[in-house]
Amino acid sequence: MKEKLVSLQQALSPIQSGASIAVGGSLLRRQPNAAVRELIRRGVNDLTILTWAGTTAIDMLAAADAIRRFEGIYVGLFNYGLAPNFRRAVQDGKIEVRDFSETAMVARLRATAQGLSFLPIKTLFGSDIAAKNPEQIKTFSCPFTGKPLQAVAAADTEFTIIHGYAGDKYGNVQWPVVRDTDDMDQPFAAAAKRLIVTVERIIPHEEVKRSPSLTYIPGNWVEAIVEVPYGAHPVACDTRYDEDDAHMQDYVARSKTAAGAAAYLDEFARNLPDHEAYLRKVGGEAALSALHVSEGAR
Amino acid sequence: MADYSNNELITAFLSRQIEDDDLCFVGVGTNGRAFTLAVGIPLAAVRLAQMNQAPGASVYWGNLLEPDLSVIPETFTQDSFTRWQAAACPPDTGVKCDMLSRGSFDVSFNSAAQIDRHGNLNITAIGDYERPRVRLVGCLAQPEHLAFVRRPLLVMDLDRRTFVEKVDFITSVGFLDGGDARERAGLEPGGGPRFVVTDKAIFDFTPDTRELRLVSLHPGVSLDEVLGLMALVPVLPDNVPETAPPTAAELQAIRRDIDPNRILLRV
Repeated sequence: MKEKLVSLQQALSPIQSGASIAVGGSLLRRQPNAAVRELIRRGVNDLTILTWAGTTAIDMLAAADAIRRFEGIYVGLFNYGLAPNFRRAVQDGKIEVRDFSETAMVARLRATAQGLSFLPIKTLFGSDIAAKNPEQIKTFSCPFTGKPLQAVAAADTEFTIIHGYAGDKYGNVQWPVVRDTDDMDQPFAAAAKRLIVTVERIIPHEEVKRSPSLTYIPGNWVEAIVEVPYGAHPVACDTRYDEDDAHMQDYVARSKTAAGAAAYLDEFARNLPDHEAYLRKVGGEAALSALHVSEGAR
Repeated sequence: MADYSNNELITAFLSRQIEDDDLCFVGVGTNGRAFTLAVGIPLAAVRLAQMNQAPGASVYWGNLLEPDLSVIPETFTQDSFTRWQAAACPPDTGVKCDMLSRGSFDVSFNSAAQIDRHGNLNITAIGDYERPRVRLVGCLAQPEHLAFVRRPLLVMDLDRRTFVEKVDFITSVGFLDGGDARERAGLEPGGGPRFVVTDKAIFDFTPDTRELRLVSLHPGVSLDEVLGLMALVPVLPDNVPETAPPTAAELQAIRRDIDPNRILLRV
């Protein structure tokens, strides 16, 4: 097995302006926020972003004016409201959006994972989601029944970034037995071309080998793995820590204006050298440990 | 003063729409009034139905099938969702999508920023799609709910900005421009929104033209008040009854057994 453990800077160095990136996580769970802050720090822009239910990761990229095109099922801040920076950028005409419903995005990921150019759905007849996107959603007749179906183009991004719970130096990433499963991270991983995974902690390979059925992202699929504790902050990593409510409220308040959001990104991304400095900036272990939840205590 | 709240009235009405063995989808999240409409009232309604005419009704909540709803926490941080006990927690959301597409769901609870005369819903963009006045959240699985669920129940407050003649963007297909337009567009027969349950009145859709039709006014609400809160005029029957109030037994179940700490129906 090949060792794939690298630094965050090394893992993300192939991603340049103009790239296309699938971003994992769902709602306030496991957004790869540390990786996104590193991309913002480097000034990467002109990105095509594909996501499931995106929150902070997508909104911060929008605040950094880094997104040219977006494809996904949702961008918002869950119980913190609409995504203020994404909303502003779309309203200003800066981001070209193509919306996909959940079955459509599932079909796109599964198509890529199977090496197919599309998979069919029957969801979006009559919906403006299909009407506005004739390039990626096309009606055809079922060769067996003759009934109409909609072909949805396979997900096609150069890179995929996912934040996971724990993994070994070979890139095998494991989930806990009890977790919040309302996400699509494994299908995103299965559909990835160049997969970069950040994890809360690196664990010994011996530990992985004892329970291989918990490995949801095999190292075989992974290009680089990085240990990034609190890599989803200020949102949650279920079973590890909760969302940082005070930080989220501050983010929303400062994002009322573009200038406020820019100042936020200066303070928490651009003017800091790395993720370690970010963790010190948000209060260090003393403050972060207050967000801990008891693992597996069900 | 009635001896029941508006939320209890709505909950009781919705619970009576649940049939035995129904599989009911309820979303997660948001807070305040949006939580009450999207999560609190639907969960309370299904539990009330389970206690009465529909003991075999099931809930799919977030990505949990048959969640234990006997203990509702005071606050909803991620960890309260992570630890929620349930009969099943499929490995990813794709499983729920598959079940939707093959028609496994009988009921869903939905709301929208805009709904129009023919029950089409918009949660994507207000104004022009490319350059919207307000960019909303996108679509999630709402198109699936309106395409595949047998009896979607729309739960939303009456507001002139929400109830419009034509939605700016059809995220989810109600009856398009009416009649059999839904089927002609390619969707399978059946389905479409069943009721629109608001804080002031209840609506359904006419069987032929598929237009929004007033079904009942909540006790104490006038027709003028309802029409003043709508930017379209719905079909008005000659006689509009009052929405049936909750029974004493329903109220006792809601208050004593289902929501004793007033978390589901708080606001």
